Amino acid sequence: MLKLIGAALILCACACTGFSVARDYRRRPVELRLLQSALQMLETEISYGATPLPDALEQVGKRCESTVSSLFMITSQNLLKGEGITAGEAWEEALKKFHRKSSLKTSDLEVLRVLGSSLGISDREDQVKHLRLAREQLKIEAAKAEEEAAKNVKLYNYLGFLGGLTIILIFI
Amino acid sequence: MNAVNLASKKKKAEPANTKNPTAAIFNMVPSSIRQYLRQLGPEILGGLEELRLRQDRPVILSFNNRDFFINKNGGLTENPEQAYCAGEEDIQRTVQLVSGSSLYALEEELRNGYITLPGGHRVGITGKVLAEQGQVRSIKYISGFNFRVCRQVLGAADKLIKHLISFQREVHHTMIISPPRCGKTTLLRDIVRQLSNGIPHLNFPGVTVAVVDERSEIAGCYRGVPQQDVGVRTDVLDSCPKAAGMIMLLRSMSPQVIATDEIGRLEDVNALEEVFNAGVKVLTTVHGASLEEISRRPALRELLQLKVIERFVILDRSKGPGTIKHILDGKTCRSLGVV
Repeated sequence: MLKLIGAALILCACACTGFSVARDYRRRPVELRLLQSALQMLETEISYGATPLPDALEQVGKRCESTVSSLFMITSQNLLKGEGITAGEAWEEALKKFHRKSSLKTSDLEVLRVLGSSLGISDREDQVKHLRLAREQLKIEAAKAEEEAAKNVKLYNYLGFLGGLTIILIFI
Repeated sequence: MNAVNLASKKKKAEPANTKNPTAAIFNMVPSSIRQYLRQLGPEILGGLEELRLRQDRPVILSFNNRDFFINKNGGLTENPEQAYCAGEEDIQRTVQLVSGSSLYALEEELRNGYITLPGGHRVGITGKVLAEQGQVRSIKYISGFNFRVCRQVLGAADKLIKHLISFQREVHHTMIISPPRCGKTTLLRDIVRQLSNGIPHLNFPGVTVAVVDERSEIAGCYRGVPQQDVGVRTDVLDSCPKAAGMIMLLRSMSPQVIATDEIGRLEDVNALEEVFNAGVKVLTTVHGASLEEISRRPALRELLQLKVIERFVILDRSKGPGTIKHILDGKTCRSLGVV
């Protein structure tokens, strides 16, 4: 009886690990695409509206999907606190919090980090260039992520479960 | 009388804003400099007029007509060797803080060379100018700041105001003549406030005042909302060219008084003529030290020849900023007594 419970637990744990890895693979391209469209919105706010950055970020945060909105909302809140921090620092801080909840890889975060360091410090044309560059890079990452997802989602879904089974068989 | 009550209530609510005018400025300088400023006593901060940041040079505070450096060990000094110098990092941070991290949203402000902060303080900016066909397009590589503390002096016009109102309780066309930094804008703002709120002891009910604030100095608007107390019946057209603004206000807001700062160009004078002819009273200021001096300037000479201005107020700094040197009657050019 005890053996059976142990086996069930192992199977459960392995399957869950597999599913969560697979979910990360599945979610990453989605998040990257959402980020791209959010940056597109930010670009519009900046280039056409010339909206001040805290407001622009808040607008974007309200309108985009909840998965990525926290990045923009937190940055905006950090800036509005008015404690003498720059946009780059506010973004960096928000990025750290956002990272914990997201499925992004470090290479994706690096793109966002570079973008953050140039936010708000130059004229409109320049801001638009930086935002476009970041979007372009995210697009490349998204393409890669999709490829990986196609390969790995199924693999990990099965691998977790089958791995668990293998372990059980070995121990029995 | 109702209006008068309102006015006195407003007066009491005001000091919250004026109590610590430097706080808004402190939030705009990087913490490396802020920590020194925080240590300074109220006797210094209370009189602070300007704070200047220049890259790789000492940070300068000026008050009481004197300049001081920030001592690296705290406090102030006049010895440049001990002075704290603003580094590139300091300046870059200041750029971001002053612009609210939105330099791209301040293209118009950069073209004019200054930004207005909440609280009405002004930040002058220098650096490398990008020009296009002789017109300033923007400032790049910003390297110098001048924070000018805007301090509202409620009651600056107390002694003067009775001379500006006639027996029929009409406002006189008034021109304030003053060299720079003698408090003409402060005086104008207080006159506007008092006329707009009404003056109980002169039995003067408030009148509608319209202000064309081309350089955002009178009302110190931040996103269109006056940050200074300019009175309950005052409409402000912020950052609007004076000549166009006066005509706009004349048509749109039916003011009884139009106030504007620093006239001098011919188109300003032409617009003023329009205002005179519409039966609206004018409050204005001019850069200059005396009536003779300003009458040498062609545009102003034309204005003076119209002989419509009823009061000239001449300021200087002999007893500190805002000293009223003369009040002249426009028709007779006789002094109405020094206050």
